[in-house]
Amino acid sequence: MSQEWVNRPERSTVGIIRFIVWFALTFGRRASRLLLYPICLYFVAFSSKARKASRLYLSRVLGHPAGWGDIFRHYFHFASTILDRVFLLSGRNELFDIRMHGVEVFRRVTEAQQGFFLISAHMGSFEVMHVVGRDLGKIKATMVMYEENAQKLSSVLKSINPESNPAVIPLGRIDSMLKIQEVLDHGGCIGMLADRAISGEKMITCDFLGGKMAFPLGPFRLAATLRRPIILMLGLYQGGNRYDVYAEYLGDLSQVERAGRDAAIAELVQRYATQLEHYCRSHPYNWFNFYDVWR
Amino acid sequence: MTAATDKSGFEEELAALIVSSLNLDMKPSDIDPLAPLYGDAGLGLDSIDALELSLTLSKQYGVQLRADDENNSRIFASLRNLAVHIQQCRTK
Repeated sequence: MSQEWVNRPERSTVGIIRFIVWFALTFGRRASRLLLYPICLYFVAFSSKARKASRLYLSRVLGHPAGWGDIFRHYFHFASTILDRVFLLSGRNELFDIRMHGVEVFRRVTEAQQGFFLISAHMGSFEVMHVVGRDLGKIKATMVMYEENAQKLSSVLKSINPESNPAVIPLGRIDSMLKIQEVLDHGGCIGMLADRAISGEKMITCDFLGGKMAFPLGPFRLAATLRRPIILMLGLYQGGNRYDVYAEYLGDLSQVERAGRDAAIAELVQRYATQLEHYCRSHPYNWFNFYDVWR
Repeated sequence: MTAATDKSGFEEELAALIVSSLNLDMKPSDIDPLAPLYGDAGLGLDSIDALELSLTLSKQYGVQLRADDENNSRIFASLRNLAVHIQQCRTK
């Protein structure tokens, strides 16, 4: 199920991406957004599995049965953030109204030159966070993800902007863990998405939007093991050309003794789930989960 | 489970350290010195456990594991390999 999600971007071949990039940069954001209407209509009509999952999620978060209009809006938000990648990666930040909330939390860690974890979700736009991070003073997250996904991401980004060079550490090996430690020891920042478990990973079930959902333990275990604070950051799309970037201090398990650690980790994952729920409620069309994750 | 292969004194010390530092739900004597530490077979440690262990080993024995060391998977292949590596490289 979760594998299916990560495989999605691959379907768009490099050729299609190049065409969209060319179209977007030639005809501008307004004209290319018009293309999103037929594209979204097509996917709402023909992606029955994703549509079902969208409906399940939206009905929970909106508190009433989701209609076709809601589902279309969900898809349109997703498509908009993907299209906006093109402009953000090409340095066209002036097209956007980007507002920041709570980003002073970064001062605490960057002034101390303390390495930290930046935890996000499959929500809104990563590129907009990247822009904000750069403006805030060279906060550049090294993303941790599975190797296969890292390669896909890199090929997508390179087809948009050949000079883009995302810093990525592939997960799953002992060496990766030692590399993460090195980045943090140099005052760097490690970025991870914590709202989707990959098969085989240790998980924990949390309360989420009135149901139960499995969250990966990995990011939080890592932060506890390496004794680093966790900051939650999300770049959410508000419609039009507006994005809101939220940052908040999520927690720090560095003082927790080994014996009480598992309980403290479980509590922190639940806090993440609770905050994610909060942002899903305030920006319901931004959680890009098109799979049935409820238990 | 059959009786574990006999361990050397140092292997026993290391097994006790692994169990205590990772808070494992087993006795040090349950660890077979030849079974893999890492992955689904054997002890079933994942890469985050391995990281935790490497931090403990560095504190206890002054052995620093490096990310670019190609031998990492060999070092973690079994308790015996790990013991040999530590005895070769320990500074404490």
